[in-house]
Amino acid sequence: MNLTVNGKPATIGEETAVSITHLLEALQVEQREYVTVELNGDIMDRGDFEKATVKDGDSVEFLYFMGGGR
Amino acid sequence: MAEAEQQLRFDTKLIHGGTVPGPSGATKPPIVQASAFAYQTAEELEDIFKGRAVGQVYTRIGNPTLEGLEKRLAVIENGIAAVITSSGMSAITTAVMAVVRCDDEILSSASLFGGTYSLFHDTLANYGIKTRFFDPTDLGALEAGISERTRLIFVETIGNPKMDVPDIEAFSAIAKKSGIPLMVDATVSTPYLARMRDLGADIIIHSTSKYINGTANSIGGAIIDAGSFDWGSDRFPHFEPFRRKYRNFAFTARVRKLIHKDFGACAAPLNAFLSGEGLDTLALRMERHCSNALELAHFLQSHPKVAWVNYPGLPDSPFHEVAGRQFNGRFGGLLTFGLADKPAAFRLVNALRLAKNLANIGDTKTLVIHPASTICADYTPEVKRLMGVSEELVRVSVGIEDPADIVEDFSAALERV
Repeated sequence: MNLTVNGKPATIGEETAVSITHLLEALQVEQREYVTVELNGDIMDRGDFEKATVKDGDSVEFLYFMGGGR
Repeated sequence: MAEAEQQLRFDTKLIHGGTVPGPSGATKPPIVQASAFAYQTAEELEDIFKGRAVGQVYTRIGNPTLEGLEKRLAVIENGIAAVITSSGMSAITTAVMAVVRCDDEILSSASLFGGTYSLFHDTLANYGIKTRFFDPTDLGALEAGISERTRLIFVETIGNPKMDVPDIEAFSAIAKKSGIPLMVDATVSTPYLARMRDLGADIIIHSTSKYINGTANSIGGAIIDAGSFDWGSDRFPHFEPFRRKYRNFAFTARVRKLIHKDFGACAAPLNAFLSGEGLDTLALRMERHCSNALELAHFLQSHPKVAWVNYPGLPDSPFHEVAGRQFNGRFGGLLTFGLADKPAAFRLVNALRLAKNLANIGDTKTLVIHPASTICADYTPEVKRLMGVSEELVRVSVGIEDPADIVEDFSAALERV
């Protein structure tokens, strides 16, 4: 499935929709306990990571509060 | 926090919780004594600044050694995140400034460490932040003190040096009902006596310089976010951008991305390493601090030259019941007692041989001080009364020496009073 991750094209092996939890693992996202996930412009609640689905063509942004900028 | 770590018992969490293996299998975290961190490409650094990727930039903002201790403290306190700072006072300042703005009010216990009282009463007042002080043993005074402008309730879990013990669960119930966060300074009780998140605190402060470091070799502070407070009310519009982006990490995000970054009270990597070393043995040390303090309290109480002893571990303390309940039958390593007058207190301090006369608590060594002439000397008699400081009072931070030697030191010194 083809996605846009942090503004860049990305591909994961799964063909069908996956949960955000699954996506975080598939992309080996660092410090998953702290990451904020924005799916198609919507900030997702952490409690929804298991049930929210990511499908082909979606845009995903990862955000951390530890970095330098605002 | 990983679920497996959540399941660990407290003493094990102190040693293993939140730790990651060091380079080459090192069982200690590296001390990353560097100011800044380089990247191969402009894109990588842009991503980190935008918060899109994890990475270190500059030690004022973050550093692997600091991050290591922050993760451990968050796990130990059952919080969601932690920020460590250069001192306990900078932890309080940073955490408070993240919550309040000009014209806001803090509702604080009057029973405070002198430095915190000065910050609230003098320094923050100069920036338009007013503090209303209340007696922490009077829940009615707490409720009555809440106004439209209140943004924060602040209390010490064991008042230093008043030795009063507020009922944190009762405080939390009032704070939650009022939609105001409860910030507790748990320096004296330490995570060993109780995890304040479990009792309902929203933000937990430590001066890590004290019991967490344990051997008085470095100054430091910590802010732990319990992740329990909903910042989405009209009282906190300044949290909205952080809440929208970072949800229940809103407080930590505001601390990190604004106040801590701008005020710059960052911890030194070496100090963070040393405080982390202290965490490993916190449980063992606190067990001994508590048992030694109880033994010294009993001895002092039986001594004819001692007018009174204030230690929540004594059955006649008005805080014995609440402290016993919320601290699982342990009462900490700090006590105060009274002699006849100030000259008698001075004679005692001067006659002690083992106990050191200095302005600190939480060392392995037994420490004493006469607060009225030192750490509380600048305050009016009325403020001293509120803080529980009188001229005949001596504060003891009971160390972890053999208790018989501590008792003998005080016994011999009392003979010379």
